[in-house]
Amino acid sequence: MKKGTVVLGIITLMCISILALPVGAKTVLRWNLGTEPPTLDPALATDTTSVFVDEQLFLGLTDFNDETMEVIPELAKDWLASDNGLVWTFIMRDDVKWTDGKPVTAYDVEYGVKRTLNPATASDYAYVLYVIKGAQDYNTGQVEDASVVGVKAVGDYIVRFELNHAAGYFPSIASMWIARPQPKEAIEKWGDKWTEPENIVTNGHYMLKEWVHDDYLVMVKNPDCYEADKVQIDEIYAVMIEEQSTALALYEGGELNALREVPLEDMDRLKADPVLSKELSIAPRLCTYYYGFNNEKFPFDDPLVRKAFASAIDRETLIATVLKGEQKPATTFSCPGIFGWVDPAEEIGHPFNVEKARDFLAQAGYPGGEGFPVVTLMFNTSESHRKIAQVIQLMWQQVLQIKVNLANQEWKVYLKTCVEDAPQIYRLGWCADYPDANNWLNDVFNSKSESNYANFSNPEYDKLVEEAARESDPAKRKGMYQKAERILCDTDAGIAPIYWYTWVTLTKPNVKRTYAPMGGEHVKDWKILPG
Amino acid sequence: MFAYIIRRIFWSILILLILSLITFTLMHMIPGGPFDREKKLPSEIIANLEAYYNLDEPFWKQYLNYLGGILHFDLGPSFTSRSRTVNDIIRQQAPISAQLGLFAFFIAVALGIPLGILAALKQNTAIDYTCMWLAILGVSLPNMALGPFLMWIFGLKLGWLPIARWGGISHMILPAITLGTAYSAIIARLTRASMLQVIREDYIRTARAKGLSERVVMLHHALKNALIPVTTVLGPIFAIIITGSMIVEQIFAIPGIGKYFVTSVMNRDYPVIMGITLFFGALIVIANLVVDITYGFLDPRIRYE
Repeated sequence: MKKGTVVLGIITLMCISILALPVGAKTVLRWNLGTEPPTLDPALATDTTSVFVDEQLFLGLTDFNDETMEVIPELAKDWLASDNGLVWTFIMRDDVKWTDGKPVTAYDVEYGVKRTLNPATASDYAYVLYVIKGAQDYNTGQVEDASVVGVKAVGDYIVRFELNHAAGYFPSIASMWIARPQPKEAIEKWGDKWTEPENIVTNGHYMLKEWVHDDYLVMVKNPDCYEADKVQIDEIYAVMIEEQSTALALYEGGELNALREVPLEDMDRLKADPVLSKELSIAPRLCTYYYGFNNEKFPFDDPLVRKAFASAIDRETLIATVLKGEQKPATTFSCPGIFGWVDPAEEIGHPFNVEKARDFLAQAGYPGGEGFPVVTLMFNTSESHRKIAQVIQLMWQQVLQIKVNLANQEWKVYLKTCVEDAPQIYRLGWCADYPDANNWLNDVFNSKSESNYANFSNPEYDKLVEEAARESDPAKRKGMYQKAERILCDTDAGIAPIYWYTWVTLTKPNVKRTYAPMGGEHVKDWKILPG
Repeated sequence: MFAYIIRRIFWSILILLILSLITFTLMHMIPGGPFDREKKLPSEIIANLEAYYNLDEPFWKQYLNYLGGILHFDLGPSFTSRSRTVNDIIRQQAPISAQLGLFAFFIAVALGIPLGILAALKQNTAIDYTCMWLAILGVSLPNMALGPFLMWIFGLKLGWLPIARWGGISHMILPAITLGTAYSAIIARLTRASMLQVIREDYIRTARAKGLSERVVMLHHALKNALIPVTTVLGPIFAIIITGSMIVEQIFAIPGIGKYFVTSVMNRDYPVIMGITLFFGALIVIANLVVDITYGFLDPRIRYE
């Protein structure tokens, strides 16, 4: 009897597993998001995970080409700026529908922008829209009337923006999730719960079918999308696995067909493996890893000391021995792919040079490191940051004959330390919100910026980045950013850029995908071939 | 007995209240706030966020608001998961940790107690040494080594069990073994020590003198008494094990509450920290109460007044 029950159990299990096998020719992308998206609300998203999902679910006026990062039309067929660059008009397609069947109109764009700016929405990134006239006053509660905001639907499919100042980068801003049309009815009906699968209304190439929090979510192709015939992948099954080695095991076990990040400790094995090495791909990523010097703290209040430290970092050795992901050594802040970045051939910044480093230190009054005080390098607690810090500590000791202490703090404690009184040397990274040097040189190191923990201050620099923001001639802007980089990373050496990030990914050979330097790839452009 | 239970419940509520006050104070004292980001938010944006979550009110008022919410079983919003409340998070994720924990607890007890008894009965023999060697191995093997090892052997190489993630019973086996092993080792050592002590007692000698079989002496007279100290630790172990393990949930990608709790502390997600702390606190208080009541059944000398 018992034996019979066991056999019956086994047969039932086998039947269940056969039934669970995929039926038909549905193509499914099995992807790891890496973490639970904190929100799917385009007004609130700030992180790469939420943005990746929103890219599939919501359309913007404009969009970026994944790989070239050119601004391309999406909801807007065309756009034009007034002669003074203050008024931007977007002409929208009239064949896009929300998943509840209603058309996507200019009024939805106006509602979306105003909702993001409404202080009651409490959107982190609302400030990115401050370039729009009246946006800051409304968001900070100085004005309660939303009609002061310079965004207006002037017809069902034409929307107009008025700006505070001319901004050549505005079409990039118009692509961002915070400026996308939002479904008013669903939001007003469901409140914060409008992004749950049973309530959500979207307009993108994919629709949200299921969201099991902290576990997985499923997006399916939107058959009513205007480009539906071009979308090949029927379903995105996206898991939320934080542990990279677990995700790698699932990839090796065939349960995922692409991995967005690969654990550092497996790099040597993956590169040596005959199969996996062919699936490994390294692509540029719009982020810079840097060490900031507190420009007001002794001895880093002396530019010569900063130059000595920047020149004593052997970035290539660091990348080859510790990072192993073919990152690029950086001597300037904005990374390749950003409008206004500086080619290393221009020789701006301080690459590794032992003689120059020693010479700078000697000029600063510390020949051979004599009399130089013990200084502290601080980073947020993490094994990879520690390894990098240890190697650089050793380089400084060997090249400059000085002693550097390492200290680390838990992430939020560390951020508070940086804001209140940054350590002599601190570690941080910066990733692009949009691919323009304004988002780097002005947003971070303008002396008025709240992210300028280095207390870097140079009036000429401020003037350059502020004027560049208003300048509409691309060639002139490029020149201004090049000058600004020269001040920040060369003559003043306010920071020491270390490397430009890369995406180290694994993809099964039958998946044809794009690699977006900013993340947020469009799965609509991907294909899964049989096999 | 009834009066005792009522009194204990009253004390439990007081304990939870003190726990809530201490947690609330500590989490506001630690440096760094929920809206500190790598990309520093402008102060006006932080002001909007603080107003949205009522963090701009004085400390005492925030605490009273919180207690007011608890009276309505409303544990508040989550700062990091905007579409979910703390109630949603506990409701969705705690049962998963509890299921896994229950399975792991079963493994811990089912392995630990028999191993301990066996070792005690065969004291100073090869069996004793083997059992205790296994126990030391179990305690010393950290979850973060055992988990990936089991995953690699049984998931990836042999393909007998799922590599990771949450699903049916088969998904529970590897994480439950990982989680249960260390506790089974503790239980085994404790059972052995307790058994060794009990079998030297006079009443065991009396039982043997009466001519009872060794089996009856051990099972009816020795084991029941030997389990009293074991029961004392089983209560807290049960409470700890079913509230989830950050490491095991992280390694096996299980959407449980243990991992979420640790993440919420790192994110300074105040309502989630409070909600989960109180939820765990209540579970531990209840587990201890149950243990105290169980004593009465195991040992008639223990009376409640």
